[in-house]
Amino acid sequence: MIPFVAVVSLRNQESRTFRLWIPLVLVWLLLLPLAVLATPFIFIACLVCGVNPFRGVAVIWQILWALNDTELEVEHRSAGMSFHIL
Amino acid sequence: MAFSHGSRSDRAVTKQGNRGFSRWGRRIMNEHRRQILEMLSQGKISADEAERLISAVEQPAARSADSDTASAEKTRPKYLRVQVDSEDDGGHDGPTKVNVRVPMQLLRAGVKLAYLIPTAALQKANLAMHEKGIPVDLTQIKPENLEELVEQLSDLTVDVDQKDQRAKVKVRVFCE
Repeated sequence: MIPFVAVVSLRNQESRTFRLWIPLVLVWLLLLPLAVLATPFIFIACLVCGVNPFRGVAVIWQILWALNDTELEVEHRSAGMSFHIL
Repeated sequence: MAFSHGSRSDRAVTKQGNRGFSRWGRRIMNEHRRQILEMLSQGKISADEAERLISAVEQPAARSADSDTASAEKTRPKYLRVQVDSEDDGGHDGPTKVNVRVPMQLLRAGVKLAYLIPTAALQKANLAMHEKGIPVDLTQIKPENLEELVEQLSDLTVDVDQKDQRAKVKVRVFCE
């Protein structure tokens, strides 16, 4: 399943943590019309470069599918940040 | 700077142990089967008894093969983890910790991007790598090689310790 939510946590010097839930569903929905508009150009670019466009779309879809559970944390004395895709 | 690169020895030993055990088990099973067939040819046992004995000998072997497959599935890692611990001795910045967890599935999907790289670009990359003294022909890399590469990552552990005058940095890359 493609990820639906990303959680960004930010910690400042006073150790206050701000947690931001980003609904990726909305991002995908916003990007969908753009992707549809860009499809012919992407197809032409793929054909020019000698790349199978269907394979390209499949790989991008697999990458989106596999993004779940990706986690990045950076902790420092004065600040911290974490990013988690659910 | 100390750099060590090796496989997860415990897991490798277990895998080798399992493989060795199953090979040994198969040899024993063949020996038993040969003895049963000999007894049958000498008329000591009937064909029915021989069949029953052979099936009794084969069952534990099949069970152990199943458990081997199950344990291999169980130990298949799900994530690639990169941890960086930096301790600043100067006292200005303080320690910094970076922790990245990448799903193996994402690695597999990312590796598939390599199939999409046009041949001309691969040749350019080849040239650049040859100039740097890395004799790798990227055009010869097949999808199955890349799959195998990702599979082998499960046995990889990289530890880098750097002790500088100002800072100590420890990097760990492993699969879990």
